[in-house]
Amino acid sequence: MVENRPLATVTTHVVLILGIVFLCFPVWVALVASTHPGEALARSPIPLWFGTQAVENYTQLLTAGVPAAGGVPLATMMFNSLIMALGITLGKIAISLLSAFAIVYFRFPLRMLFFWLIFITLMLPVEVRILPTYDVIASLGMLNSYFGLIIPLIASATATFLFRQFFLTIPDELVEAARMDRAGPIRFFWDILLPLSRTNIAALFIILFIYGWNQYLWPLLITTDQDLYTIVMGIQRMVNVGEGIPIWHYTMGTAILAMIPPVLVVLAMQRLFVKGLVESEK
Amino acid sequence: MADLKLNGVGKTYAGGVSAVADATFEIADAEFIVLVGPSGCGKSTILRMIAGLEEITEGDLQIGGRVVNAVEPGDRDIAMVFQNYALYPHMTVRGNMSYGLRNQGMPKAEIDTRIAEAARFLQLEPYLDRKPRALSGGQRQRVAMGRAIVREPSVFLFDEPLSNLDAKLRTQLRAELKDLHKRLGATFVYVTHDQIEAMSLADRIVIMSSGKIEQIGTPMDLYTNPASTFVAEFIGAPPMNVLQASGQAARELLSLAPDAPADLGFVGVRPEFLKVGDTGVKAHVTLVEPLGAETLVHLALGPDKMIMRGGQDHVFEAGSEITLTLAPSDLRFFDPSGRRISAA
Repeated sequence: MVENRPLATVTTHVVLILGIVFLCFPVWVALVASTHPGEALARSPIPLWFGTQAVENYTQLLTAGVPAAGGVPLATMMFNSLIMALGITLGKIAISLLSAFAIVYFRFPLRMLFFWLIFITLMLPVEVRILPTYDVIASLGMLNSYFGLIIPLIASATATFLFRQFFLTIPDELVEAARMDRAGPIRFFWDILLPLSRTNIAALFIILFIYGWNQYLWPLLITTDQDLYTIVMGIQRMVNVGEGIPIWHYTMGTAILAMIPPVLVVLAMQRLFVKGLVESEK
Repeated sequence: MADLKLNGVGKTYAGGVSAVADATFEIADAEFIVLVGPSGCGKSTILRMIAGLEEITEGDLQIGGRVVNAVEPGDRDIAMVFQNYALYPHMTVRGNMSYGLRNQGMPKAEIDTRIAEAARFLQLEPYLDRKPRALSGGQRQRVAMGRAIVREPSVFLFDEPLSNLDAKLRTQLRAELKDLHKRLGATFVYVTHDQIEAMSLADRIVIMSSGKIEQIGTPMDLYTNPASTFVAEFIGAPPMNVLQASGQAARELLSLAPDAPADLGFVGVRPEFLKVGDTGVKAHVTLVEPLGAETLVHLALGPDKMIMRGGQDHVFEAGSEITLTLAPSDLRFFDPSGRRISAA
C-alpha cells in the first residue's frame, strides 16, 4: 500500500516506536542493572543508566559464579546449555528429515501407522511423559550426562510433519529425473532433498535452538551434578536465593548472558532464512 | 543405438484398473515414434513403462534385444525429457546437465567436453552458470534436452515436452527437435496430445484411445487411410467429416458414389476433398472462417453438419446455398462399430 499522508506516517512511526520501547525497556533495565553494584538496585529509584561495575560483575559471573547460588561459573553453564541446545536441534533435524524421507518416499508395510504414531507423540510433550522418561533414562545410566539431557528431547513430530509436508510439494518428476540420473535413495536425499530443504532447516534451526536453550524442567530433573547445570537453571537458582543479600545485578547479568546465544542464532539464521524465502520462487 | 520391442505390454493398477492393454509394436533403431491420443488414453503410461518409472504388469519390453522389465531406469540406456522440465532448482545449468554423468563416475574432463558440446548445440553457452529460475521456459526446455543429450543414450523419451510453451516457441522448438533427431541418429519416443505435433515430427505415429492402440502408421498413412472413425476424427485440423450413414448428408453424398459397400455405419470425407461444383449436393453455409490461404466453411445438410476447406477461388457467404461435389475415391467407409471397410 503506497499512501502519502504525513499524519499517517507520523502515527505509524509513533505506534511502532512505542511498541519497541515497550518491548525493549525490560531488557534495557536488565542490561543497566547488571552494571551496578548490588546495593544500588535495592534503593529507589532504580538506575536507568549504566553503572561502573560492568567488568567486575561479568568477570565474577563468567569465571567464578555467585557463591550464594552455588558458585558455578556461568561459562560452564552456558557451555552446557549450548551443547544441549545444539544436540537437541541437530538431532531433531536429522531424525525428522530421515523419518519424513522414509514416510514420503518409501513404501513399506504399516507406513501410515508409523506416520500416525509419530503424529500422536505431538500430544505427549516431555512434561506429560516425564516420569516414565526419567525412569528410562535412569535405567540407561544417563542421569547427569549430556546424553541424558539431549536424547529424550530429540524426537520431534512437529519437524517430521513439517518436512513431510515439504517433501510432498516436491514434484514427482524431480524424483523421477533423479532416478533416470542414476541417483539412488541416499544420493537423492543428499544431493537433491537436502539442498532443497535448506530454508526449512534454517527456520527449524531457529525455533528448535531456542526450544532447546530454554529447556528448564527436564535438566532440573536429571542433573544433580553442578557441572552439568544449564544457564536457565542458573537464573532460577539466583532468583531463589531467598533472604540473603539481594543479587539482582548478578541475576540480570545472567539473564543478559543467557539471551545472547539465541539472539546470535536468530541473526545468523535469519539472513539465510530470508534469502531462502526470496529465492525459492519456482 | 537400439530398437525397442513391446510385446503384449500392459499395465493394470493394484485396484484392477487397466491403463494399457496388450500394446505390441516395434520401434526401429533411429526412428522417431510419436504416441498420440486424448488425455487418459495411456500414451504417457507406455512411455513411463519404457522409462522404467512405471512397473510393467503384463508382457515384456526389449531395448536393443535385452528384456528390461526389471532393469532400473538409470540402467536402461535411455534419457527422458519431462513436460515440466524437472530441472534441479538448486543446481546451475551445468550442474543439471552433469549430475547424471557424475553419478556414473565419468571423469571430469569427459563431462566437460560433453557439456560444452551440448551447450554449443543448444545455444546454452551463456547460461551454463545460471540457475533454472533465471531462465525462460524455452531455455529451461533446452536445458532439459541438454541433460538428456549429454548422456548419449540410445533412446530418448519425451513426455509432452512442448506443452508448457507458447505457440510460437513451440513451433520453433518443434523444428529444433526434428533437427536434433536427424543429427543424433538416436531412437526418439515422443508423447503428445497435439496431433499437429505428431504429424509434423513423426516417422510413424502410434495413435491410442482408452488404453488400446488404434492404429500405427506414417503420418500420411493415418491421414489418408484412418483405420477407424476415432483416428479419422483425431487426426487433421479440422478433422475428417464423419457422418452417420443413415443420415441425410451421408445419403446424399453416397448418391455421388455408386460403388459404396454394404453394411455401412459411417461415411467420412476430409474437408479439403469437398469442392464447389455445378451439380451435386446442395448445402447451406452456416459460418465462414477465413484463414488467409484457405477458408473453413461450416455447412449444414438438413440436421447434419460438415466442414469444408475452401480455397481462394470462391467467395463464401454465410446464409447462402452452395452445391458440393467430390470424387468418390475420397470417401472413406466405416462399419457400424467404427472400423474401416477397405475400399472395394
